[in-house]
Amino acid sequence: MQIKLKNDLKELVAAEVISEAVSQKISTYYETQTPQKPKSLFTIFGVLGALLIGLGIILILAHNWDDFSRTVKTIWAFVPLLIGQCFVGFSIIKNKGRTWKEASGTFLYLAIGATIALISQIYNIPGSMGSFLLSWTLLGALLLYLLGSKAILLLHLVFSTAYACTVGYFDDNQVPWWYLVQIIWFIPYYIHLLKTASKNNFTHVLNWLVPFSFIITLGAFLKSDDNILALAYMSLFGVFYALGNLPKFSVHKLRTIGLRVLGSLGLVFIVLIASFEGFWSPLSKITYALHDVSVVLILVSTATFIVGFQWFKKLPQRFNFVQYAYFIFALIFLTISEENTLPLILVNLLIFCLGLFTIKIGAQKNNYGILNYGLLIITILIICRFFDTNIDFIIRGLLFVGIGVGFFAANYYLYKKQQKNNISTSNTDQL
Amino acid sequence: MKKIIYILGFIVMVLAQWFIPGSMIYEQEITLETGTAYKFKTRPIDPSDPFRGKYIVLNYEVDEITAQDLDWNSGEEVFISIANDSLGFAKAIAAHKTSEVIKGDYVAAEVRSYYDGKLHFDLPFDRFYMKETKAKNAEIGVREAQRDTKDQICYAEVFVHEGTAVLDNIFINDVAIKDFAKEE
Repeated sequence: MQIKLKNDLKELVAAEVISEAVSQKISTYYETQTPQKPKSLFTIFGVLGALLIGLGIILILAHNWDDFSRTVKTIWAFVPLLIGQCFVGFSIIKNKGRTWKEASGTFLYLAIGATIALISQIYNIPGSMGSFLLSWTLLGALLLYLLGSKAILLLHLVFSTAYACTVGYFDDNQVPWWYLVQIIWFIPYYIHLLKTASKNNFTHVLNWLVPFSFIITLGAFLKSDDNILALAYMSLFGVFYALGNLPKFSVHKLRTIGLRVLGSLGLVFIVLIASFEGFWSPLSKITYALHDVSVVLILVSTATFIVGFQWFKKLPQRFNFVQYAYFIFALIFLTISEENTLPLILVNLLIFCLGLFTIKIGAQKNNYGILNYGLLIITILIICRFFDTNIDFIIRGLLFVGIGVGFFAANYYLYKKQQKNNISTSNTDQL
Repeated sequence: MKKIIYILGFIVMVLAQWFIPGSMIYEQEITLETGTAYKFKTRPIDPSDPFRGKYIVLNYEVDEITAQDLDWNSGEEVFISIANDSLGFAKAIAAHKTSEVIKGDYVAAEVRSYYDGKLHFDLPFDRFYMKETKAKNAEIGVREAQRDTKDQICYAEVFVHEGTAVLDNIFINDVAIKDFAKEE
């Protein structure tokens, strides 16, 4: 039981608010309510142990024992794999508990990597890091569903992302198509977690890690590194934001909805970059690769489908301007010509509207965080223009004073509104 | 019923986890047993891999050939016919787009560039894994030996069989590199 609760109970008994007997009953109740904690801790330590042992074995094997013969080294290469398979087989056949499944699965997953690495080492097989990671993740993929293991899901996500980065950015500089297969493979399990354990901490962590993985790897699917990259990322953040606004997520606290937070931050980040003159200047000379245009079209269509689905289903929500930002940005791209003034003005207007609308959402939800986030967007917009335009110092100064006053006024308005709500609530209670 | 499906799934996974490394070993062993040994003159440098440990990267002297076909793109696969020269070292004879037309031994390589009738290529067997305490010394030892006396020859012994090449060992004047390099 929490120490804070124990202290509170002592205080209440001392102040004679509750009796000693009631205090005892409350203590007993809370002690019976939290029996899972030691077990889940045991699972975490089991996984950590397996992870450390597995990584240790990989490092020991990486030493390259050239005193042994090739046959001896080959036999040793299969020992960790065999041990891992025995543990996993035992866990499945005896239907052991979560700790057994998580720990044995983690160990086997790493043993697969160790075995392939050692075989490559013994025979000097030249394969690239990308092909090595791909073989590893594919051979370990089935473990995810056989054991229903969360640790395997994490490892699968991390190694799949590493594979996409290696192939797309470093070693081969090719499109990592297999990453999509790896992601499609774990999505049913992720959806299952969202349905059955949406309030679980692990699911909250995944809600952040999965979009992070997409953010890291999207660039690997694009062949050029020019402005179309910004449009692709804008569309991806549009998809995130639209998904994060689905009713399934809206019941949760904001900090647990990685999709919506990352979507919103990403949208704002991209439009801020696009608000600089340099972003638009080379555009009129560029022709885009069909491959990159296809990626952008797929992302824009996906985001539009999700927004359209919400609109069609008349899901209970207010008009949300932020949700359409990706589409407006895509339309601005279509206005490109030799003259870059028009897109520049439109993007600045878009940021201003994003800021205003975020302030409005914050005021409506009585949320200081969202309100100040909206103000921050407008402040950053002004700071950016401070550096790259030739506006008079007086006007710049007035703009800063204006936004400062805006900060005070908006927060004061929200404070007053909350106070008014509290008073009317207490009046209703009295009635 | 559910348990049977899980057990069957487990058996399939175990078989795959043995089959893939097993087939890797089989292909290499067949080449080592039935393939022809070639000596490729080389020069080692020493990097490392986070999972597979220290290895030396090999830069081969055989890395270009005159090719008439102009249609070569960087990164494309090329099949190089090989044979021994008068000193017993491997040399490239011809470059081919497909392997079916080749009669003798050949290795699959990757096109680096094509310029002025010369096709430059990278041979795939460019990694030789070594004990971590010896890899760096191997590189330094070879460099120093070649600087002191120009007649020091470093070569890789590669077994070739139907396009598969297995790098078996590195020699410096017929001394295996693991014996040549001192431990750190």
